[in-house]
Amino acid sequence: MSVDLHLVGVSHKTAPVAVREKLVIVPELADEALRRVGALSGLREVAVVSTCNRVEIYAVASDGAAALRLLSDHLAQRAQMAPADMAPHLYSRRAREALHHLFRVTASLDSLVLGEPQILGQVKDAYDLAVRCGTAGAVLGICFPGAFRVARRVRRDTAIARSPVSVSSVAVDLARQVFGGFEGRNVLLVGAGKMSDLAARAFRSHGASLTVTNRTLERAKELAARIGCLHHPFEDLAGAIARADIVLASTGARVPVLTRELVAQAQRARRGRRLFLIDIAVPRDVEPRCTDLEGVYLADIDDLQKVIADNRDGRRGEADRAEAIVEEEVVRFLDGQRGRKVGPTIAALRARFLGTAEGVAEKWSSSTPGLSERQRRAYFEMATEIAKKLLHDPSVALKARGAAAEGPALVQAVETLFGLAEAGATGAQLSAVEPAADEGDDGGRDKKAAEG
Amino acid sequence: MLTALEIVAYTAASLFYLSYLIAPRRGGDRVGRAALGIGAAFQLVDVGVRCVHSQHPLSSVAEVMALVGWMIAVGFLIASVRYRLAAAGAFAAPAALVMLVLARVVPAAPGAPAMGMLGRAHILLATVGVAVFTLAAILAVLYLVEERQMKRKQFGRMLGGGTPLDTLDRLASRCVSLGFPVFTVAIVTGAVWIARLGFVTGMQSLRFEHLLAVVTWVAFGVLLVARVGAGWQGRRAAWLTLGGFGGAFLVLVVYFVRHAAS
Repeated sequence: MSVDLHLVGVSHKTAPVAVREKLVIVPELADEALRRVGALSGLREVAVVSTCNRVEIYAVASDGAAALRLLSDHLAQRAQMAPADMAPHLYSRRAREALHHLFRVTASLDSLVLGEPQILGQVKDAYDLAVRCGTAGAVLGICFPGAFRVARRVRRDTAIARSPVSVSSVAVDLARQVFGGFEGRNVLLVGAGKMSDLAARAFRSHGASLTVTNRTLERAKELAARIGCLHHPFEDLAGAIARADIVLASTGARVPVLTRELVAQAQRARRGRRLFLIDIAVPRDVEPRCTDLEGVYLADIDDLQKVIADNRDGRRGEADRAEAIVEEEVVRFLDGQRGRKVGPTIAALRARFLGTAEGVAEKWSSSTPGLSERQRRAYFEMATEIAKKLLHDPSVALKARGAAAEGPALVQAVETLFGLAEAGATGAQLSAVEPAADEGDDGGRDKKAAEG
Repeated sequence: MLTALEIVAYTAASLFYLSYLIAPRRGGDRVGRAALGIGAAFQLVDVGVRCVHSQHPLSSVAEVMALVGWMIAVGFLIASVRYRLAAAGAFAAPAALVMLVLARVVPAAPGAPAMGMLGRAHILLATVGVAVFTLAAILAVLYLVEERQMKRKQFGRMLGGGTPLDTLDRLASRCVSLGFPVFTVAIVTGAVWIARLGFVTGMQSLRFEHLLAVVTWVAFGVLLVARVGAGWQGRRAAWLTLGGFGGAFLVLVVYFVRHAAS
């Protein structure tokens, strides 16, 4: 059993940014780009995943080799490169391999930062766009939701995404060691650099309120306006610190701005309440001696980098477990598809048997004059009872062996023997992962869960 | 039989929490909590059984010790429902275990001859006070260890997944302000009780442990005032909590030793 899913793509592992930037699809033009791929001949369904680290086209086609050629040429054309120049940067996967790749990518096992959470949302966006543009059908409609499920399981069952690996999230994590939560906490940003912007947003998303101070008032006002917070005159730095719980320093000053004396003065005003200083500037903004002060804790950029390095190592350790989960889920997914094939066959068989039984009962009861209503019902009950008894063994056998290797052959045999195929009641004549009758429910449910 | 089950459950909980302290796993403290809960449940049944055999929890120093252990376990369980306190479990579970084992190795002896309502009230309140102070002391120890790690920037390996400093401090403070009034009433009832005993027999004099109990009471009183009035918190408050607990614990030990000796 395999899938008709195939893919061609470039990623940070195969192509430099010079190539990737030619292929990346800006969101405004995404549906147009998608429709253009969808219009290529021989492709039944397509979806395009485009992030700054990868561009991948997933397509459903009966002829995998032809589809991959077509997509490779399309990408080369988009990048305005000769196919031969493009080829070394491209990778392609077919059928099971493509499914496996989709699962790995969505679970963030192929990401530059292992376990980073954005990729799941990006793949979801790609799928949603394909659904909106009508280029996603039954096959993508089970493969992508399947990938989301696997990604969620990997996040739940491994520690791969648990420990933060960016400066801003590590800063938040360390501050949480001191304060627990950030509701009602004040974060003071000293300096209005790009890094403090990111970290400030991270703190605010956890409920902290922000204040900015900067040597040049204009920059402070600018940042305050951009992220929507208050600003405080730089001359009264000690006063600003006295009101803060967390100070995030990132100025370009050559000598420490937060001297021990200044912090000591602030600590007196705040009666020794706990104060967490985060210094992400080089050269440093906070005098290391500040940690002598009661209740003052300090993390500088080296401390943060060290935590990041440790967490990265931890994630790599978890990657093997995650890979095993992905492999297991691929097998389960394909088995599930096989099992799914059996459902419609059983339903059709049942309809055929019961239909026949009722037809015969109807014929007999109408050709026998003078029957009471009770006797008529007895005819029907007997006929359907016989049909159900006869249905039992084949149904059990189909359910039990439908997922095994001989499953498709068994389905084929049942359909031929009972003439189900020409009735058009089953999906057996369709190719491997073509829509099964009960597929719609599952896909829909999954999508809702994904949005939630 | 029940005692054996309690000890097994408390030991399992202790081992689990200690292993958690060394290698934290996410959500992994549930097993420890379950084991501790089972142990506490067994002990509650045990208390009922002993009551039937007229060995109620306040009938002897040994029973009181066991009761303190039980209260530590239950108090910790209640607090851990709301807060991530797996690291504190590594102290609370062994504390409950030690109290229980100590209580059971001492042969059951009849209690003080003329205890009456006042004596019982005193012992009960003192027991609750000591149990709550024990929890406060556990939190204070954790605070001191974690704060040291923070100061030394050992961010990567925070103790037992790290209950936030703020939470530890706040909980310890709450324990003290809960335990203090109880302990106050215990001291007053104790003083009245001793005075009456002395009045009746004419031979009761103040002992070392009585003085110690008062010192303990003063220590916690100072801590409460300093927390509210002078904004004391964190390390200083933690040390004072430990000092106060040391006194309270010593009182219990002195009673225990005297009892075992008599």
